[in-house]
Amino acid sequence: MAAHDHSLVRNAGPLWDEATRSPFLDALAAGSLSADAFRRWLGQDYLFASRLMAFQAILLSKAPRDCHQPLIEGLAALDCELGWFESHTTRLLVDLDIAPHATCRRYTDFLIRCAYTEPYPVPLAMLFGVEASYLAAWSALLPSGPYAEFIERWSSADFAAYVRLLGALADRNPHEAAQEHFNEVLGHEREFWKMSWEG
Amino acid sequence: MLHDVLWRSNLHLAHSCLAHPFVQALGEGTLKADLFRAFIAQDAFFLGAFRKAYALALARSDETESITSLYELLGGVLEELKLHRAYATERRIDLEILVPNPACRAYTDFLLRTAWHTSLGEAIAAMTPCMRLYAYLGRELASKCSLHHPYRRWIETYSGEEFGRLARRLETLLDRAAADNREIRDSYRYALQCELDFFSGVLGI
Repeated sequence: MAAHDHSLVRNAGPLWDEATRSPFLDALAAGSLSADAFRRWLGQDYLFASRLMAFQAILLSKAPRDCHQPLIEGLAALDCELGWFESHTTRLLVDLDIAPHATCRRYTDFLIRCAYTEPYPVPLAMLFGVEASYLAAWSALLPSGPYAEFIERWSSADFAAYVRLLGALADRNPHEAAQEHFNEVLGHEREFWKMSWEG
Repeated sequence: MLHDVLWRSNLHLAHSCLAHPFVQALGEGTLKADLFRAFIAQDAFFLGAFRKAYALALARSDETESITSLYELLGGVLEELKLHRAYATERRIDLEILVPNPACRAYTDFLLRTAWHTSLGEAIAAMTPCMRLYAYLGRELASKCSLHHPYRRWIETYSGEEFGRLARRLETLLDRAAADNREIRDSYRYALQCELDFFSGVLGI
């Protein structure tokens, strides 16, 4: 099942489009995005990913046995992702030792707080929201121009398969608060793209 | 002392809070009643998180002195919540149906993330600015507070000796639990920024 057919996505209404489309992505696909804006986004995305690691680790510690494999594979993939950022700082001219933007901080405070305070199906639905919206945002772009490498990286078949697994896990572990938190994730995604575009 | 260094290095944020239109109107007694009601409702939600943060810090403390301090501070926030419930009854505020505004949610998410996830020192550094700031605002506003001021009770609570004593108690804990490093400075500064945003959140600006 494609992510956009998932009930959490359908029931999110217009929030889904707001979280997956942005002038930042349009400019990136058109090749007109400035290198400075791209580097600014990369730096914040790295901080986001490093805090997402904590969120996923806490979720893993609370989730039942049948959720472990995809979550562990997700953590391993995230470790590779952080390693990719760290090994490309020189080529990409990105400074990773920066302070989080208020938008990045609000998003990650929300994620980690919920990982502790909500029962595991809620952060599970939230993780699906984080990854499915990210995949949808990048998959809508044609991999061409100066940013083709990055578009391909974040719309890969492996990533899509992982997102499908997360969607299936969310289905098998429903919770009455899942939709509300899924929607909040989408709101934060929208703000993150907005921050990336507006600086 | 660390608490003094942190307060002084962020004094500009405390001054911005004092100069904030919400705080100025509250101090002058010209704040519209519905805005005060909105503030009390958001603050009650915030205090619910603050109470949990104290409880988590208490559970993670080993020294009797710290445990005793946190026990007292937890009692202090429970008293503050009683006062909010009294305001809610008097001014017909339904605290049960409250939806926090984005600034309030950002602050409580930050507070609870630090309380659950970071070192005890960082968690205390996230909590201290609220206490010190309100003691400061209370003292500053008390000079203009007449006998018939509509928000006299609020100003007296935060300018009072008891609240000042609790703020100092938390600062003593901060000095014991935290080192002067980037995380602690960041936690303290961001909490004060959240305080400033909280006032704007009530005004919807």
